Amino acid sequence: MKLELKDLYKSFGEHQVLNGISLTAESGAAVGLLGRNGAGKTTTIRILMNVFPADSGEILLDGRPIDHKAVKIGYLPEERGLYPKKVIADQLLYFAELKGMRRADARASIDYWLERLGMSKYRNKRLDALSKGNQQKIQLVTALAHDPDILILDEPFSGLDPVNAELLKDVVRDQMKKGKIILFSSHQMNYIEEFCSEIAILNGGHIVLSGNLREIRRRMAGNELLVRSAMQKEILEFYGDRASLTEDAAIRITLNDAGDRRREMQLLTAKWDINEVRIFEPSLNDIFVQNTRDQI
Amino acid sequence: MKQFKTIFRFELGNYFKNKVFVGTTIVLMILLAVIMFFPRISGLIKSGSEEKSQKELLLASEDPALTQTAQAAFEKAFPDYQITVTDADEADIRSKVDDGTADCGFLLQDAQNYTYFVKNLSMYDANIEIADRILGGIAEMKAMTENGLSPEQAGSILATDVSHTVETTGKDQSQNFFYTYIMIFALYMVILLYGQMVSTSVATEKSSRAMELLVTSADPVKMMFGKVLAACLAGLVQLLCIFGTAFLLFNITRNDWADNQIVTSIFDIPLHLLLYMLVFFILGFLIYAFLYGAVGSTVSKLEDINTAIMPITFLFIIAFIVVMTALGSGDVDTPPMMVCSFIPFTSPMAMFTRIAMSTVPSWQIGISIAILAVSVFGTGVLAARIYRVGVLLYGTAPKPGEVLRMIWRGQ
Repeated sequence: MKLELKDLYKSFGEHQVLNGISLTAESGAAVGLLGRNGAGKTTTIRILMNVFPADSGEILLDGRPIDHKAVKIGYLPEERGLYPKKVIADQLLYFAELKGMRRADARASIDYWLERLGMSKYRNKRLDALSKGNQQKIQLVTALAHDPDILILDEPFSGLDPVNAELLKDVVRDQMKKGKIILFSSHQMNYIEEFCSEIAILNGGHIVLSGNLREIRRRMAGNELLVRSAMQKEILEFYGDRASLTEDAAIRITLNDAGDRRREMQLLTAKWDINEVRIFEPSLNDIFVQNTRDQI
Repeated sequence: MKQFKTIFRFELGNYFKNKVFVGTTIVLMILLAVIMFFPRISGLIKSGSEEKSQKELLLASEDPALTQTAQAAFEKAFPDYQITVTDADEADIRSKVDDGTADCGFLLQDAQNYTYFVKNLSMYDANIEIADRILGGIAEMKAMTENGLSPEQAGSILATDVSHTVETTGKDQSQNFFYTYIMIFALYMVILLYGQMVSTSVATEKSSRAMELLVTSADPVKMMFGKVLAACLAGLVQLLCIFGTAFLLFNITRNDWADNQIVTSIFDIPLHLLLYMLVFFILGFLIYAFLYGAVGSTVSKLEDINTAIMPITFLFIIAFIVVMTALGSGDVDTPPMMVCSFIPFTSPMAMFTRIAMSTVPSWQIGISIAILAVSVFGTGVLAARIYRVGVLLYGTAPKPGEVLRMIWRGQ
């Protein structure tokens, strides 16, 4: 399956929120939706989920306009919240039925997910009796129980301890293997780098950067080399001002010209005992900051 | 439709699983049972103990002849009182009444003047009127005998009996007053209580952010209608439980209430009035519940809800006061009531009162119900639109004008 958002525009009164958002997501791959607060991520997600229509633009699934009755979407909103005073199994059943599941199927699916996330023992407890992380896992069940075709995860890892984060990672990987389309929004760049081959960075309702993450990083690599060597001192001395030590004890060398990269790498390996030398590629964090520092 | 059913069932379950809701209903039913069985229970207690509950009335006069005539007349006119003739003076009577030895006292200066002593003058104290009549009678008797009539002649003149019959072509207000009063009060309580429950329920979903998930899972219009209709059914069931219990118990204890006109008149409510009650209850409930629901969707925090629903509550209270005033005055066809019985927000109470207490042409009833039904539909549509916009708005609650503008733009 292929999901395409084409040229979405949306304004609320005088305030133009989306200015032509286009992005593509395919089965089995996660797309990272990045942007600072107020960039238009939630609005994009809400239009995708048919909470309100876009002013213009279209959403296609496999080339045809999306039929919200036929396609199932699972959503883990950034603002978590269920009914705090209600029994967990009851509300999970309610949400699954709202999404069109039959009662028996819903029950079976909820049991499966509660078991999988290690929450079965809380089945008949009230939600507010659970810790924040566990509440979040319950919320995750509402997104997954109806076996959605498209899964939208907004900050899925916030509030989870490392063990639960691993559990969630497994779930996400499983969903990718099953060929689900996954939209992943987060400010925790390491998770995006881990899961998303494609990214789209929003700023002021525009997509300022999108595409394959690896290609983007390669493209944005400049005239810098990253070197690891036991002969750190000598190398630093040799390059003087043009070299600096990074936080993880590698040497970053700035060249006069990006074209010199290959020649300089050969020179380095010939001259010193080098463990690793590569073209310095910016981290996703650097790319994000660079593209969103000035809010449009 | 399936989604609506799911929402409706869930919302209804919220009421019936709510311990406070179930508890209040049961407590009210028990309370009614106690009230309905009260005459029987108190009868049992009374028959066991000595009957000594008669109130005491002191009668004093300086004229022994007057005292004698007055005593006979007082005994006849105050069957509830034990009449004690005393020669105590004013201060004595005052202190006896004040410390509760006697319940009241009459000090007759002469046949035309007397002082009435009572500790707390009740609103319904008719003793003065009775005493006035007795003394007036004594004076007339005296005048007649002085002018040559024999006491027998004078007595027969004064005792002339006038008999009458009343033919009511319309409604007998003294019969209908109490059940109309109770019905209006029930309508008022239920609409106010459930209306607030609806708006609190919407606001809770918003403040707990369950709304984020709800709006992406279900159609807001279905959510709104599911919520309001479930509340309406829950309210009806609760009323049915309470009034049903009362009616059932009344039929069991009917004999104990035979001499209580108020209670028997309440349960003699004609069927057609009950049906009107049902129609006005459902329509009135819906129109207010829609408004309450819509307003609930515009606030983000639960603590803002009271301020937000105040205008609707005021509107409803004003309607209630107009109706209650008219009901109390006995004239329910006053111009304000006529107007109110056609305005959809006041007509459920006003028109019902007029139907119960007066004779209303059927075309007026028809028009009133038609206007109300159309308004319920219109309010429902408007409320659903406000809801659709409101549920996504967080932060400061928007002004009504803003909300309308947003709906107009179709966002």
